[in-house]
Amino acid sequence: MKNIIIGQYIPGKGLFYRLDPRTKIVSVLFIMIAVFLLQTIEQLLIALGVAIIMLLIGRISIIKVLKGLKPILVLLIFTFIFQIMLNREGVMIVNQEMQLTIFTALFLLLALIIWRILSRYIRYRFLLFLAFVASIFLILVYVDFGYPLVNSFSFKIYEQGLRMSAFVVVRLLIIITLSTVLTLTTKPTDLTQGLEKLMHPLKKIGFDSESFALIISISLRYIPTIFDEANKIMLAQASRGADFSEGKLKDKLKQVISLLVPMFIIAFMRSEELANAMESRNFVPGEKRTRIYELVFSYRDVLATTISVLILAGAIVLKVI
Amino acid sequence: MGIRFNQVSYDYSSFAQGLYTAIKDINLEITEKNEFIALVGHTGSGKSTLAKHMNALIFPTSGSLEIFGNIITSKRSKKIKYNSIRKKVGLVFQFPEYQLFEETVEKDIMFGPMNFKITRDEAKILAKEALNLVGLDDTYLTRNPYNLSGGEKKRVSIAGILAMDPDILVLDEPTSGLDPAGKRVLMNLFKDINEKTGKTIVIITHDMDLVYQYFNRVLVMNDSKLIYDGLPEQLFKEKDLYINHLDYPNTIKVLTYLNQKLNLNLNVYQKTNADALLEIKRAAKL
Repeated sequence: MKNIIIGQYIPGKGLFYRLDPRTKIVSVLFIMIAVFLLQTIEQLLIALGVAIIMLLIGRISIIKVLKGLKPILVLLIFTFIFQIMLNREGVMIVNQEMQLTIFTALFLLLALIIWRILSRYIRYRFLLFLAFVASIFLILVYVDFGYPLVNSFSFKIYEQGLRMSAFVVVRLLIIITLSTVLTLTTKPTDLTQGLEKLMHPLKKIGFDSESFALIISISLRYIPTIFDEANKIMLAQASRGADFSEGKLKDKLKQVISLLVPMFIIAFMRSEELANAMESRNFVPGEKRTRIYELVFSYRDVLATTISVLILAGAIVLKVI
Repeated sequence: MGIRFNQVSYDYSSFAQGLYTAIKDINLEITEKNEFIALVGHTGSGKSTLAKHMNALIFPTSGSLEIFGNIITSKRSKKIKYNSIRKKVGLVFQFPEYQLFEETVEKDIMFGPMNFKITRDEAKILAKEALNLVGLDDTYLTRNPYNLSGGEKKRVSIAGILAMDPDILVLDEPTSGLDPAGKRVLMNLFKDINEKTGKTIVIITHDMDLVYQYFNRVLVMNDSKLIYDGLPEQLFKEKDLYINHLDYPNTIKVLTYLNQKLNLNLNVYQKTNADALLEIKRAAKL
């Protein structure tokens, strides 16, 4: 859980750290829209290249961003596979006969067992899983002797399917990289302040952007705290013999309740304490507040906004042509 | 054979700040019978981390420890039943709110024993016994744990661990947030359990008066290292305590002050207030 990087700020120095949060939010928004307007895979690949160059300019470690992609890797792979398998347009590229015989089934079972055993000892579980999937493919293709269980079928990949799957995956990659850059380089407090300022004009239609920003910043602030508390509760219950990995479903349910009840009670206690602490420091909801650090717009922000507007304009032009 | 630490270190890792060493190269042995140990040290010195190792809630980053014959290393082993270790070494956390969750005190105390495959009736008997042991009567059995006072909650959470009948009991600051009378009652209770049942008890505390009065062994943690392991009397006589963020017990402080101001020759090493008073009276008569 600890290596989830989406929404995590890492202190550092670089171009993106010095930008105004408002600029960053607006620019990321513009560039995201631009990415959605792009239509061919070639354009998207160029956009990906630009995104990577942005990371390099901002001196953000690409490895850290890649680590952040880990939680959504499964999603990416599934979209990729489904696009390939279900899209049947364009020229056929691969047409592979496949057979399911008794021996194939046996080999598949063997591969499954080997995979399960190896996964206990090898650390790179994900690579192992990929190897397992590849072995399924190879077995289905090459083991064609023995009594067939079902009629032979063929595995087809179409050009359009390949294109579409690459398209969708690259687009997701870019979007996530962009949002990671935003959250990685902007303190949550700055981010909410930026949002507050950006949504300020909405006050005219009755939307209280300050309260909204406060709600967001409090919830963001309390994610790690609550996570910490949950960990402590888990340890406390584990030392009373609660076992969260084994046991019958009924026992497990009881053990989940033993986590949830203290969790809620502690959350309520915390919120009451916070409310008291805020009131004792004279917080009055809806009143105008001042800030220690006012946001300032510098030449860098003008530059960044201009570039993002240009990118958006370029994308629109490409779309129209 | 109780618990033996062998060059145990533990690092906390966090994404933003990197590694943080909580305890480093700890060598320590705790026997399962008749010990009454205080674990002291400044905040952040690694006391709680050390305590969490004692019932295998966390595993050492390097080194190993032996708990009732089970060797615990940095890797989770399939052969070891970690649950059974937690039955043998009971750990009570500082804040009772982290573990109370049932609607009655009885059910909550029963949660621990019930996790070890015993019948409901047996668990009920154990719950009642444990509750009486911590000095609460049977009327508390049907009460809601969240409607109790701070001290009562603390006792119920201790009873929740005692009901599992552990051989070694580890308590993380059981006396924090209690009034002086409550503190003494609770400490007498632990001393009592220790003497009656022979269970080894390890208590994390900041209160030097308690350390001096009650314990026969004290462990001092400082900057992730174990710097002292021995008698409390020895600790207060020899070590330069202020450097290690500790303090002298009140009796020693008062008597030393009197010695300095009035040029007396009192024996400052008195454990209780009554003894200190006697010493002063003795000096006054001379």
